[in-house]
Amino acid sequence: MSNVISASHLTLSYDNGSKEIIKDANFNIKKGEFVFITGPSGSGKSTLLKALYGQLRPGEGSLIIGGHDLSSIRKGKLQELRTHLGIIFQDYKLVNEWTVSKNVVLPLMIAGYSVDVQNIQAQRLLKHVKLSEHGDKFPLELSGGEQQRVGVARALAKNPVVILADEPTGNLDDYSSNVIWDLMENACQQLETTVLVVTHKIPTIFSLPYRHFIIESKGVYEVH
Amino acid sequence: MKFIKNHLMFILPLVTILLGIEFYLVFDRTTDSYEKGLKEGYSMLVVTKKPAVLEDFKKLNPQVGSLEKIKRQNIVAEIAKGVNKGTQNEILAALPYFYNVSLQTYVDTAGLEKVKNDLEKDPNVKKVETFGNAYSSAYKLFSFIKFTLKLFIGFMGIVSLFLIIKQMEIWKYAHKERMQVMEIFGAPLMLRSGILFKVAIMDAFVATLLTSAFFLYIKFQWAAHSGIDIMMQKQEELFILSDIGILLGSALLIVIIAVYSVVFSSKGVQE
Repeated sequence: MSNVISASHLTLSYDNGSKEIIKDANFNIKKGEFVFITGPSGSGKSTLLKALYGQLRPGEGSLIIGGHDLSSIRKGKLQELRTHLGIIFQDYKLVNEWTVSKNVVLPLMIAGYSVDVQNIQAQRLLKHVKLSEHGDKFPLELSGGEQQRVGVARALAKNPVVILADEPTGNLDDYSSNVIWDLMENACQQLETTVLVVTHKIPTIFSLPYRHFIIESKGVYEVH
Repeated sequence: MKFIKNHLMFILPLVTILLGIEFYLVFDRTTDSYEKGLKEGYSMLVVTKKPAVLEDFKKLNPQVGSLEKIKRQNIVAEIAKGVNKGTQNEILAALPYFYNVSLQTYVDTAGLEKVKNDLEKDPNVKKVETFGNAYSSAYKLFSFIKFTLKLFIGFMGIVSLFLIIKQMEIWKYAHKERMQVMEIFGAPLMLRSGILFKVAIMDAFVATLLTSAFFLYIKFQWAAHSGIDIMMQKQEELFILSDIGILLGSALLIVIIAVYSVVFSSKGVQE
């Protein structure tokens, strides 16, 4: 199977290279794989994720996702690439003045789908994350777990090639966390979506085979 | 209520700036001909021993624009009323020649003095009266009023600009989260700033409408009954159709700059 994400001699840094976070990292991730990235606080897990959705440009080496090298990608191409990614954040990053339905179909709105299609998809996605009755509510009317389910539904809206999740269960209780892991496992299994999750700890109940990378001392190492 | 307040916070400073622009345009138009008249209406009096022609004076100073001979008979008729014809002829023979001399361009007091000195170098010229004080003070007063108004308009503009910057900060606070989330999911600039553009452009139209309505009232209601000569004479120039275009163009320009500033300062994901 082809690589969906590929890093070669990747270096990531802040402040114009003066603050190096990741150095000379090499890894490949294939289509449909479920990957956990762990590491101590401040090790660079979220930095790697930021680089993967184009918020931080690699300093040296290459970082290829979906065939696009993020070290040299142009602005227009990056925008297009982002429409093929599903991104989930620890703090949900929902638009609080929009209804839950509108939040869920944001990727479809960006892609220019008609309002009718958006409405149908909103119902389908909300049913999938078991929030059908909450479509007209606003995010702040929901619990943390429910808000994250909205975040997952939004990430799945356009059947993305890759889902990138940054501590998706970091703010949730065990029950809500398990619901989120189930949803992501389903996406990986049924849609063959590559899922890359940055987390402090790997869930104890997890049925899918997965790969585990650890970030330590600026390096990215696979744990076998 | 919050919706109206948010709009007013941007519309009011925008209206103030547009009022300033329109005041400037109107003042410039209505006073332009007055200023021109002030310059053109000026002439100095030159007294010569023998008759002179324009070229004689032009040779002395190229600023001299035109020459108008004052009829000596009229002067004699004024000063020698009731005097017999013979005596009148004697007075006429003894009188020098009088000319109103206009200048080609507006010159300041020092310039006037130079023209006077140049003309007086000619032995034929007996006397040059520039009326410099009256000329200069009238023009200076006019220039001062004009400068003061422009200064006031400029000050109003700066204060309004600060209010607009303040409103931009509020916009940034209100729209940043949404624009950043949309950016992460690949929304192009126009889509993520679309809502802000709609709001701002609507405000630009409302501000233009309010300013135009104010000046239309001034033109058709107030000016006609004001009793101020310059207002009544120049009523047509108080607000012309092309002003709407200038006002709308200015409002849209301010709005576009404001929105883009907010959009570009909201780039990047907040951690």
